[in-house]
Amino acid sequence: MSAISLSAVSKRFILHHERPRSFQELLLHLVHRRNGEKETFWALRDVSFNVEHGETLGIIGENGSGKSTIMKLIGRILEPTSGQVTVNGRVAALIELGAGFHPDLTGRENIFLLGSIMGISTREMQRRFDGIVGFAELEQFIDTPIKHYSSGMATRLGFAVAINLDADILLIDEVLAVGDLHFQEKCLNTLDEFQRKGITMLFVSHDLNLITRFCHRALLLNHGRVIASGPAKEVVEQYTNMALA
Amino acid sequence: MGQVDGGVDLFQHLQELFRYRELVRYLVARDLKLRYRNSVLGFLWCLVNPLLMMTVFTVVFTVLLTNNTIPNYPVFILTGLLAWNLHSTALMGAINSIIGNGALVQRVYFPREVLPIATVLSTTVNFLLSLIVLFVMVLLYQVHLSYTVLLLPAVILTQVIFTTGVALILSAVNVYYRDTGIIMETLMLAWFFLTPIFYRIEDVFPVYSRLMYVLNPPASIIAAYRDILYYGTMTNFDFFSRTFVTAVLILFAGYFLFTRVSRSFAEAL
Repeated sequence: MSAISLSAVSKRFILHHERPRSFQELLLHLVHRRNGEKETFWALRDVSFNVEHGETLGIIGENGSGKSTIMKLIGRILEPTSGQVTVNGRVAALIELGAGFHPDLTGRENIFLLGSIMGISTREMQRRFDGIVGFAELEQFIDTPIKHYSSGMATRLGFAVAINLDADILLIDEVLAVGDLHFQEKCLNTLDEFQRKGITMLFVSHDLNLITRFCHRALLLNHGRVIASGPAKEVVEQYTNMALA
Repeated sequence: MGQVDGGVDLFQHLQELFRYRELVRYLVARDLKLRYRNSVLGFLWCLVNPLLMMTVFTVVFTVLLTNNTIPNYPVFILTGLLAWNLHSTALMGAINSIIGNGALVQRVYFPREVLPIATVLSTTVNFLLSLIVLFVMVLLYQVHLSYTVLLLPAVILTQVIFTTGVALILSAVNVYYRDTGIIMETLMLAWFFLTPIFYRIEDVFPVYSRLMYVLNPPASIIAAYRDILYYGTMTNFDFFSRTFVTAVLILFAGYFLFTRVSRSFAEAL
């Protein structure tokens, strides 16, 4: 059984300015009878691929090609319009995890809150707590409200939580660009270690060196369709040629 | 293991909600911590506020409007007001709970219903604290309390069930129609006046109480609170169990609707 499997997945978005956003607008729509065609946008069309356990897959493509939509479908944030997404294992997303933080709560309180948002029990979080704080290098500030943190500190903490959750599948969406060099290097080392431990990873990045360095395989997306898939190096080459052409 | 397709049934939703019970606990704790940490008076406010409201209503309805014959009016109004505050504060808070946590909803998966549920529960904790004021007033006015006061938890439970049901519906609707909150502000005012809070239901024309007890669960719930805490009598069992069943039905309807639409919240935000 694959860790992740997408079969014939399509995702359509209805552009917001066409839909009534309030009862007031709904009423106006009824009066004016503007039942013209809905403006829709296909973010993904008929995308199928599998990711095996322990594999690292890179997803590349231009902005708006559907990379993040794939991540959100796998993370259960979005539902596919058609097709099936199947995931086997605990998923952790490294997508701006700081979103779960509350500025008035301390680092410690936020760690437990974020853990519970990810569905991890308090007892499990207690076991991981020291590891998280150590990784984020925030021992001194852990009982300070997050609002007094620098943005780098908050990001580090979010990253440290996600990375210490023991997920089977890790979704990494362009987050390695954050933090200073020292922290970046530390993250990359951890990801190396994860790879050796056999954790499945999905990478979205514009940093093609990173993709060739880490990923076994890569997908190239263009306007919501997979136009190439195979060994990371070859797909990256194809993408570079395409961009230059 | 997670099958991520449609067709997830109600039971699976409940199982998942149970798995995330600690998140509910943390969100409730967060609400309370923030409420009490950010003001010096903190905890005192949930005692002082109902007292002030009680004073205002008592002055208006006993000093200014002198034809009022309701005995022990402060206790009478306080039972109604506290129950109503729980209802309206929980609902108005829950309406914005999804949108207020929009950034989170768009980035992490978790059962969305924990947000309105946590809002209702943290408001309930506040309500429980403010009951202290009520019991002090009951003692001061020497209202006779019988053993029926033991039924209080059942009445509170009924109210929380009902309010949670409505909260689920309104919070989901507000994601799609953003003026729900504004509309509700007005409707809550009408609801407040239509519910026998500062007046006795018997004082209005007879059909009214019939109508209210059928159509307006808060009227029945407040009647039950008053039976127990103000009149010190036993609340009618048939009447109360009907209210309870209604509350449970509303909760199921709300939960069903919510889980139906919550999968596309991230898109609609």
